[in-house]
Amino acid sequence: MKKTLTVNLGGTVFHIDEDAYQLLDKYLSNLRIHFGKEEGTDEIMSDFELRISEILNERVRLGNEVITIEHVESVIKRMGKVEELFDEEPVSSAGYKQTHHTADEAGKERVSRRLFRNPDDRILGGVCGGLAAYLGWDPTPARLLIFLLMFFFGIIIPIYFILWLIIPMAHTATEKLQMRGESITVENIGKTVTDGFERVSSNVNDYISSGKPRTALQRIADGLVDILGAILKVVAVLIGIILFPPLLFVLFIMFIVIIALVAGGVGGGFGLLYHLMPSADWNMLNQYPEWTLLIAGICTVLLIGIPVISILYAVCSRIFKFKPLPDGVKWALLAFWFIALILNIFFVVRYGIPFWGDLNHWHWTPSCWRNIVQMLQV
Amino acid sequence: MNAENVKSQMRKGALEYCILLLLKKEAAYTSDIIQKLQEAKLIVVEGTLYPLLTRLKNSELLSYQWIESTQGPPRKYYKLTEKGEIFLNELEISWQELNDTINHIRNN
Repeated sequence: MKKTLTVNLGGTVFHIDEDAYQLLDKYLSNLRIHFGKEEGTDEIMSDFELRISEILNERVRLGNEVITIEHVESVIKRMGKVEELFDEEPVSSAGYKQTHHTADEAGKERVSRRLFRNPDDRILGGVCGGLAAYLGWDPTPARLLIFLLMFFFGIIIPIYFILWLIIPMAHTATEKLQMRGESITVENIGKTVTDGFERVSSNVNDYISSGKPRTALQRIADGLVDILGAILKVVAVLIGIILFPPLLFVLFIMFIVIIALVAGGVGGGFGLLYHLMPSADWNMLNQYPEWTLLIAGICTVLLIGIPVISILYAVCSRIFKFKPLPDGVKWALLAFWFIALILNIFFVVRYGIPFWGDLNHWHWTPSCWRNIVQMLQV
Repeated sequence: MNAENVKSQMRKGALEYCILLLLKKEAAYTSDIIQKLQEAKLIVVEGTLYPLLTRLKNSELLSYQWIESTQGPPRKYYKLTEKGEIFLNELEISWQELNDTINHIRNN
């Protein structure tokens, strides 16, 4: 059973399978990207659509109620795959190739590469694929090197995960071109999109990929990479299992601390400070109105809490794929933080730091340090 | 440089000339043009032709009108314009010249 869609193609209504629709849609949008630089693109596209509609109409008349992916495949074969069309294209092909070459040559000198993780060539996070693209290497030796180094330098493993966290993924065609250090032109973007299309579809239909046979060596390399990938994934899972409980524990503790800070509120905070610095002149506090102390306490908690929580959340969202915070919340947090900052500055200027007391009475005595050490041990 | 590449370049060069030649004899639907060109082994896939026809139309060498069809949507019916005929004459002369040149080189 398949879901079907109803489409209007060149003025005729067709029932079309969902997968067939996606294929046709991708084909047409690839064509559009390629023709994009020419005048009369709309007319060319409507010619294509009309013709496709005619061909499909014949099928319908032969008794096919629904357009299937096979029909669309035969249509594309008849109309020409995107790569065929643009190798054969009369006028622009010579110019296209020339600009392509100069763009390639100039591109190598001028366009600086940017480091991205490679989503099209990844086993774990695409770090090796991205590094290889950045350095202009083949990804397989890069992976092998990293894998071998891993046995001699254990530090490679955490470094890999840190890189995974830090390096952004190349999502758009532009970023993919920057990753490979190719110049950003319409042709190149079109090529990238087409390449991606072929890679996606080659899993299901191999008719659209450029039928280059894979050599035995490539297949062996692919096999090796697959095995390597499986091993790496097992290693990653093991590391995850080992690291997960302590990580969770740390996060839990931090969470508890923050909750305690907020719940304990101002009193708890000052109690802590009092415990840390018994030599401060705490009696001075009494001379301020209570509401000032309350607000000052809340502001201090916000001032420290917001960045800590934000950083924690950012790390968690990377690791556990949380949704990033909505922009509104981010702005609100930032606004609160600034208000807290301003109010804190205001209190310091207006009243001075209360527990500082009289500076003459304040000594960093050894007992003070001992208290801090004791606190940390607890 | 390979033979396939040069051959396809030669075919490309002749394609516009051939389209104009076909339409000089009689006006035709797009599908007829495609069929004839495929029979002549000048093109393999249909998609090659649409941008070319649009380009020729935009250069005012061709014009078309929509003709209703009993089976399906209306279709474009292409014919040569006056400007197209003049253009075609020029092309015929230069094709002849090219032919002579090649024959000359071949036979000497």
